[in-house]
Amino acid sequence: MPEREDRDRDKKLEDILRLIELCRTIQSSSVNPFEVDVREKLLVLKKHLPDWDVIDVMLKDSEAMSQLVAIVKLQDQWLKHRASALYIDPLLLELKIQLISKEELAESFAKCWHPVAQIDQLTPKGLEKAFVYWRELVPFGERFKDQFGSYGEQAGLIGLEELESLSIFTREEFEARLNVIHRELLEKSNGKEIDYRSFIQGKDPEETALRGYLVAFVVTEGRATLRTDPMTEQIFIQTIEGKPDDETKSVAIAVR
Amino acid sequence: MSEAPPPPPPEAAPQADSAAERAALDRKTRRAFQVLIIQRGRNPGVKGWEMRRYLGKDYKRILEVLSEDLKPLGLEVHQVPGAEGTDDSTRFLLRFRDPPTLAEAETAGFRIDDLAVLAASIALVNSKQGRISRKELESFLKTKFPRWRIDYAVDRYIKRGYLDVDDKELIRIGWRTRAEIDERSLMTLILAQGAQTNTK
Repeated sequence: MPEREDRDRDKKLEDILRLIELCRTIQSSSVNPFEVDVREKLLVLKKHLPDWDVIDVMLKDSEAMSQLVAIVKLQDQWLKHRASALYIDPLLLELKIQLISKEELAESFAKCWHPVAQIDQLTPKGLEKAFVYWRELVPFGERFKDQFGSYGEQAGLIGLEELESLSIFTREEFEARLNVIHRELLEKSNGKEIDYRSFIQGKDPEETALRGYLVAFVVTEGRATLRTDPMTEQIFIQTIEGKPDDETKSVAIAVR
Repeated sequence: MSEAPPPPPPEAAPQADSAAERAALDRKTRRAFQVLIIQRGRNPGVKGWEMRRYLGKDYKRILEVLSEDLKPLGLEVHQVPGAEGTDDSTRFLLRFRDPPTLAEAETAGFRIDDLAVLAASIALVNSKQGRISRKELESFLKTKFPRWRIDYAVDRYIKRGYLDVDDKELIRIGWRTRAEIDERSLMTLILAQGAQTNTK
């Protein structure tokens, strides 16, 4: 018998914990708060309440109650928002956004945008703050000495020869990788321009950096060309068949 | 006892009063402009209680006059209701009366793609009862924009005050959106753009 009572008690406690979790999930997402049947949950709490004699469980019970109050508050906000003119069915809106172009979206934004007008000025107090900050700023070379010591190389350029000497690349492996990425570019672009950033995008930042490094060689060798759209600053890459133009120039592209 | 004739209406005194009143109003309007145009704290604008301190209890009328005076310059005084909904918590700021063109927006450091991300984010947050998890927002934006741009743009707009993150890590509409963007028009325009695209 006591075992059965314990099981019952556990089951009731589980009900409360599940209710708290449900309320938390609703609060931390954009799910409709009316998914929680507050009346039913209150009845459950009321029914279990006489069985609680341990303070910890009572605290859980009151926490569940407080979570239900938060849900009621959310329901109130939800109703107010739904009644406001800003309410549009999310599915419809998502579909619309998918359908229209980026330019149309930006244009819609610009048409109802009223930027704030203000003057940003340097005040004597701000100037004093900046001076104190600069005066007390530890030189860069000294700053991380405590954590990392004074050794270590500063940021700089690393060439292929150095990478080979560090055994990061071998000449054969590098050539093979260059050919692989060139073939991939040929397949993906199919003679047309494609987005450079999407092309070099890897699984992680390291792979993206590596792909960017390899593509830089493909471009330098004249097997592909880059073009930057002056309006959007989007960078495009395209394969070149035959001899490249004489009009080439070097550009630096930050890879994130 | 005969009644004394009524004294002639004093004309010079009301004229002087009216001129003094006009001068005081001009002075206060100028003061209001100076208060509004110079950034004081981290966020632009001045709260109602501060305005009352600078301009007196009649500050709303003075701000209306200023807003009219600024019309030829293409500016207006805009009020953003505060969280408490009181006059004291209302924030007043100066803003463009007419929206800039897309080309002007670009010269202000906003790229078309960034504006598109912001427009889509604001519209989506509003359609989701004003709150959405960052994950949900990003997964929606990923269907239209490259991933690296989304991370960068969402962080940037949170920093600038267009979007806000609450204690439950949910993305909400930020104070700057309330101040600068006519959200209702934005939703309508997006829906209208969609309709035009469908017709095409």
